[in-house]
Amino acid sequence: MSTYLVFALKRFLQFLAVVFTGVSASFFIAHLSPISPVETIIGRVSGQSAFSPEAVESLRQTLTELFGLNVPLHEQYFNFLRRFLVGDLGPSLLAFPTPAMKLVGLALPWTVGLLTLSTILTWLVGNILGGLAGYYQNSRLLKAFGIVAIGVQPIPYYIVAFLMVIIFGFLWPVLPVSGGFAMNVRPSWSPEFVGSILLHGILPAASLVIVGLGTWFLGMRALVSNIVTEDYVTYAELAGVRRERIVSSYVIRNAMVPQLTALAMSLGGIFSGTIITEQVFSYPGLGTLLVRAVNAGDSAVVLAVSCVAVIAVATAILLIDLIHPLLDPRIRVE
Amino acid sequence: MRKLMTLLASLLVASLAIGGIARGQEEAAAPPLNEFPREETLIINNPEPPAINPGMFNMWVAGNGAAWSNGLHQLVLDTLWFIDPDAGLDGALYNQLAKERWQYNEDFTEMTVRLREGILWSDGEEFTADDVVFTVETQMKTPGMVWSAPFSQYVESVKAVDDHTVHFTLKQPNSRFHSIFSVRWNGAWIMPEHIFSKVEDVTAYDFNPPVGLGPYTLHSYDPNGYWYIWQKREDWDKTALAEWGEPGPKYVIYRSIPSTDTRLIEMVNGNLDMIHDLTPEGMFSLVKQSPTSRGWFPGFPFAHPDPTLPMVIFNHQNEKFQDKRVRWALALMLDARAISMASYRGAATLSAIAVPPTGTHPKDYHAPLQDWLVNYELDTGKQKIKPYDPTIGLQIADMVRPQFGDQVPTDEEAIRTAFGYGWWKQDIQAATELLESAGFTKQGNQWMMPNGEPFAFKLTTFSEGVINRMGTMIAQQWSQQGIQVTAEADPEIYRSTLPLGTYEAATAWSVETWGGDPDLSFFLDSWHSQYVAEPGKRQPHRNWQRWKNPNLDKIIEEVRKTEFTDPRNLELGHEFVKLMVDEMPVIPVMSFNVFSAYDTRYWTGFPTAEERPYANIVTNWANSKYILTQLKPTKQ
Repeated sequence: MSTYLVFALKRFLQFLAVVFTGVSASFFIAHLSPISPVETIIGRVSGQSAFSPEAVESLRQTLTELFGLNVPLHEQYFNFLRRFLVGDLGPSLLAFPTPAMKLVGLALPWTVGLLTLSTILTWLVGNILGGLAGYYQNSRLLKAFGIVAIGVQPIPYYIVAFLMVIIFGFLWPVLPVSGGFAMNVRPSWSPEFVGSILLHGILPAASLVIVGLGTWFLGMRALVSNIVTEDYVTYAELAGVRRERIVSSYVIRNAMVPQLTALAMSLGGIFSGTIITEQVFSYPGLGTLLVRAVNAGDSAVVLAVSCVAVIAVATAILLIDLIHPLLDPRIRVE
Repeated sequence: MRKLMTLLASLLVASLAIGGIARGQEEAAAPPLNEFPREETLIINNPEPPAINPGMFNMWVAGNGAAWSNGLHQLVLDTLWFIDPDAGLDGALYNQLAKERWQYNEDFTEMTVRLREGILWSDGEEFTADDVVFTVETQMKTPGMVWSAPFSQYVESVKAVDDHTVHFTLKQPNSRFHSIFSVRWNGAWIMPEHIFSKVEDVTAYDFNPPVGLGPYTLHSYDPNGYWYIWQKREDWDKTALAEWGEPGPKYVIYRSIPSTDTRLIEMVNGNLDMIHDLTPEGMFSLVKQSPTSRGWFPGFPFAHPDPTLPMVIFNHQNEKFQDKRVRWALALMLDARAISMASYRGAATLSAIAVPPTGTHPKDYHAPLQDWLVNYELDTGKQKIKPYDPTIGLQIADMVRPQFGDQVPTDEEAIRTAFGYGWWKQDIQAATELLESAGFTKQGNQWMMPNGEPFAFKLTTFSEGVINRMGTMIAQQWSQQGIQVTAEADPEIYRSTLPLGTYEAATAWSVETWGGDPDLSFFLDSWHSQYVAEPGKRQPHRNWQRWKNPNLDKIIEEVRKTEFTDPRNLELGHEFVKLMVDEMPVIPVMSFNVFSAYDTRYWTGFPTAEERPYANIVTNWANSKYILTQLKPTKQ
């Protein structure tokens, strides 16, 4: 057990190093952007109104001071680190002085809800079908599914998303193609609101599932195809162990370790949002927030989203690293 | 068992997400369950991305994330005057909160405004001169508000002479001070003194729910900023808009829909009445799919010409473009028909002169200057030519007719309104003579500059859309004539490249006008040489070309001394146009056509190009509120 604690401590220190490196890189990348939030605001307020050149210059100076952009970059970096340690990522420059984390908090539930459900659903269905296809290699149904998966998997996501909008929003308009919920329902725990959220989530979730399914299916099928030729599987079959038990306990379980790692990373990646889905389906979430922040040069919001994503991915990897030795004896030995 | 646990975990996550969504919404707003009958509800596309700070309505603070064109500045806020980019209901100049036009003293150092009486804020308080004084003084003493800088620059003092009269004393003569309170797209909105005077920190106040002078109040909004619903005030007749009639819709919904394809689908499905813009191809598809949908024009080119003028901008601090013969040669190498087809699939409204062909400008500028343009002579060094071709619009109409048939007008006047009055005819021989007279030589198919180097430059253009297509086609045409021109897409063209002068030539615009008035001060004042920055320094809006000319300065200085409504402004405008043709400091190409669409399934009375061009149909312009007074439900 003490060996495991040393291992856990090492992994935790690595986690801290990854988070520090990740947020520092995010800071500098966000600040390397050529897009100035000051110029974005000036363009907005003066672009289509009667603003004199002198007034524009005066506004520029005021905003630069207000946003703290008149101090050197290294000073901004240390200010950021100090605030980061206490969980404060500063005010958004696009919605000054609203805290950037407040904007992230508003968008986060949508992204987490949509992506967690679609990722887990995709993972479960893909792996189960992939596992079965790898074991029952003569099943016509599973072979047909494999052909469909190979056909769908390389289609770019945005094509699938647009096709779904066109099919279910235009040719056969039965599902809402934009928004998170209907405009005439009151957000609450009422059946109307929950129903509306689910209805509006069908198309975005389905598009993600359709595209994601093939990857998990093909990966799992390949893993299982290798495992079924292992001696212990042949031995189990000769020993008369029930086929269902061989598939679930001997084959899929062994193939699951790399898939679980990949799932953890996918779940961690959820926190960076899904930009194309949100754009195509006008669905709220972190992706839309990130795009707006990048386009407007709002480094505070870009940083807030990036920090959440860095911490989420690093935490997911840490957890998986900590759990693996408990699940897989081979890792424990190493 | 594990699968069961995973499923349970998923359900937990979903519950937490929905709980988070519900809680977030309740914090922002809690609209009651309501339905919005279509005969009472107008649904408008807001082109802005979803609001980043959805519960913020204090749009007097710069950069606080308040959405503007979500209905707030169209339906709720108000100010002294509006200048419509189109014809207007009774002329383009509206007295809105002001009872009459501005009154200046002799030397334009004082301005007096008489206000309407009997106007109420949406909470029942009376609108008075104190509100105007408060608006100006608060922003003057609070840096970082939208109008802090212009007020501080111009206003010495402001006082309420009585409840309905405001008097401004200015720091320096300014014949266009009223422009600050005149809405073209936006303007200095009046603040409710009785609300903001009780607020400790004006810049941090969210102004939620907003209290306005317009005929609508906030009903509810999406906590994620995708939609805003506004409801007509019962006392709408106590607003300034009432002079033009009762707004038709009881509810107005503004929806942010980033994808243009989804906008199209939502209109076809009857979930949108007005679309801000589509791609040209999207518009062609919409009118095919939906018989009740249309654009500004009933047929081709459909789009509404904005009072902005896409053009080729030369950097005059680059020695390659300092000789006007070179600029003219570059203009004569262009084929406007190909540019129109490449950028707008033919749906462009061309303009050879430096005034956009929209609003009242064709009547004030393009039509009266036709004879001058037709007879205009250009000396190439070897011959005198007449470069203007008044038939180019007609030629483009003929080019698109095989594809669009009856949708293309046949009446010559209608074609001129839709496709433009004419442009320079492509004349490679004349361009060659001009370049040779400027000391250029041709080696093979490559033009060489007088210093012996190849004539080569980058043409910076938009990163996407019609202006990108226009830039690419122009670069291609110049390259075909032996100039090494590379089109470079630049997403930062307006925020940094043009202001910093880090470009050689660009396709963008530096001309924007009121649209509904011949006065050109909206952009022209900033073109005075006093504002031209040194190379490497940031150039203030809008003279991106950094062009200086003593005759231009004379025109601007006379405009400054001429009252806004004085007919002399039009004469000065004509002088400006002629100077621009002579010097060709930029190459004007066309108006910025916006493919706005509306649907007549549920509402009628929208403005049209052919019969009632009373307002701009582009939905994010604040003047679009006048449209609401003309709408009637179809009762479908």
